[in-house]
Amino acid sequence: MNISDLVSDDAAYVSRKAWTDQRVYELEKKGIFAKVWLFLGHESQIKKPGDFVQAYMCETPIILARGEDHKIYASINSCSHRGLPVCRADHGNTKRFLCPYHNWSYSVDGSLVAIPQEKLLTNKPDKSLLGLKAVPRVESWRGMIFGCLDESVESLESYLGDMRFYLDAFFERFDDGIEFIGAPHRWTINANWKLPMENQLGDVNHGPFLHSAVIPAEANEEIFSVGWSAVPEPGHGATFRLMPEGTEYAQVAWGMEGMGAILGGAEIQEYLFEIQAKAAERVGGIRSRMKGLTYGIYPNLSFLWSNTSFKVSHPRGPNKVEYWSWAVVPADAPNAIKKILRTNYSSFFGPGGILEQEDSEAWMQQYLGSNIDFADDKPYFYGLGLGEEKPHPDLPGMLSVTANEYYARAFFLRWRSALEAVNDCCDLITSTKQLSVDDL
Amino acid sequence: MISDIERQYAIEQFYYREARLLDGRQYQQWLSLVSESIRYVMPARVNALVNNRQRGEEAMIAIDNELEGSDGLGCPIREEGYAHLFVRVDRAYKMNSWADNPPARTRRIIGNVELLECGDESIRVRSNFHLFFSRPGSDNFIYSGQRNDQLLMIDGGFKIADREVIMDYANIDVPTLGLIF
Ligand code: FES
Ligand SMILES: [Fe+2]
Repeated sequence: MNISDLVSDDAAYVSRKAWTDQRVYELEKKGIFAKVWLFLGHESQIKKPGDFVQAYMCETPIILARGEDHKIYASINSCSHRGLPVCRADHGNTKRFLCPYHNWSYSVDGSLVAIPQEKLLTNKPDKSLLGLKAVPRVESWRGMIFGCLDESVESLESYLGDMRFYLDAFFERFDDGIEFIGAPHRWTINANWKLPMENQLGDVNHGPFLHSAVIPAEANEEIFSVGWSAVPEPGHGATFRLMPEGTEYAQVAWGMEGMGAILGGAEIQEYLFEIQAKAAERVGGIRSRMKGLTYGIYPNLSFLWSNTSFKVSHPRGPNKVEYWSWAVVPADAPNAIKKILRTNYSSFFGPGGILEQEDSEAWMQQYLGSNIDFADDKPYFYGLGLGEEKPHPDLPGMLSVTANEYYARAFFLRWRSALEAVNDCCDLITSTKQLSVDDL
Repeated sequence: MISDIERQYAIEQFYYREARLLDGRQYQQWLSLVSESIRYVMPARVNALVNNRQRGEEAMIAIDNELEGSDGLGCPIREEGYAHLFVRVDRAYKMNSWADNPPARTRRIIGNVELLECGDESIRVRSNFHLFFSRPGSDNFIYSGQRNDQLLMIDGGFKIADREVIMDYANIDVPTLGLIF
């Protein structure tokens, strides 16, 4: 396969095959999911020794746990004997995982504790070699735990790079950081994993169109007039509104846009205003005026600031995604406030959300529109705003208006080189004519 | 005073009419069956860790172990009031509610209607549903679940004051849980 046929050199064109081809998907596993930092969970989910949650690295099930030594462990959830998943619950607290088949038992850190059959045998196996496969690199930043299957990967901080500047504009507002509440909502959608990702990476410009039945026109006007799309590193992205200095709290404070805050009365508004009052001191003048929209972290993590949800797009083949989402709240908020804030997420997003029902349907329809014949010579146009992105004096990365699709071009160029790096067979996709903007 | 059988009959008829309005896309008429102080909750559902200290007891595998409802500190899938339902109903009649343009075809079957507690002004009722869902350009789906309702008796009729919808899924593999169940 000629990978360069999937994405043109300027990324103004992306092939349908990038979304549907099984061979492309296998290369994504090899070139991306086996090589980069993937989000596993948040420290607030595993506070006590024995706490565990399930996670995925692409399709591979992972147990993320707090060991007896209080350290964080990530292991592949597959028994060393015959491969059954040994952890069967979504989350919980336990001393041991017991494999159903022959009852080998493992501690939460993945080490093998007992083989019931061995007492009948003379040669005892070396249990220290038979633990669950450990994810070789696990690091956290601001409580966010990532794992990488490639031992030689750069540090997590350097991987996130200047994306940290934009994430901190949110994380650093809160004295005790943030907390993921409850289990993720896990929603299987017949779509390719990259589209939910692209949607949150920078595609706020579908809002006024796909969501016009629900999003009021003023909210869209605000995005047109003060909206920015930032690409701190190719593959990462942040969109936000930079509100003018002196904007009143009701218009700039984090959380005020959600249904929870809109319906929640004076108590919740005062709480959110208090956070905003400290924002300039905590995150600096310019970042205190940031009213975030959507963020994406390569390859498949998203953060929806406006409705305060983290989301992971777990691939399940080219044609299916298991889309996980969590409500996120300040860790030190009173319980009553947490309960209101979680509806800032769930009212509009997640499997029952009023807005996301439109997105998920669009993502399914995009797969249908991509999985067709006789159109390989007509790749998708990704060229909106080509070359119009620029550096900014106060904000890291390349900046543009939100209608500019640079965020997606940068993602697909990174994606293309990741696939090229592992593509050792060249018999695959039938060549599509490579187009550039000049051909239009 | 009406008899238990008459009351059971009246509530079943109410549910059949409700299902007919929803399947007939007469959502505005449906909204008139709802109290303005309604609480409409769909707990999240998980694959729970079985607590081996409870072995031998019903509590070990109780449904409640799997639910993240509105009282706890998890995150229910839906926690809505009249305003949310109003937005959903309003959306249904707009040109640009794209996921429902053209609209899905649905068929609700309501059954196992059980009156749990009958007060003078309100009744707690449990019912089960199967909902067939056929959206243009997509596979067909069956939704399955239970509703725990509190109905208010008003002017000889009923209004839904509280509805908890318990879906029979942990992994959600239906297109949307944003329907009215
Ligand atoms: S497969 Fe796990 S104990 Fe045999
Ligand atoms: Fe959207």
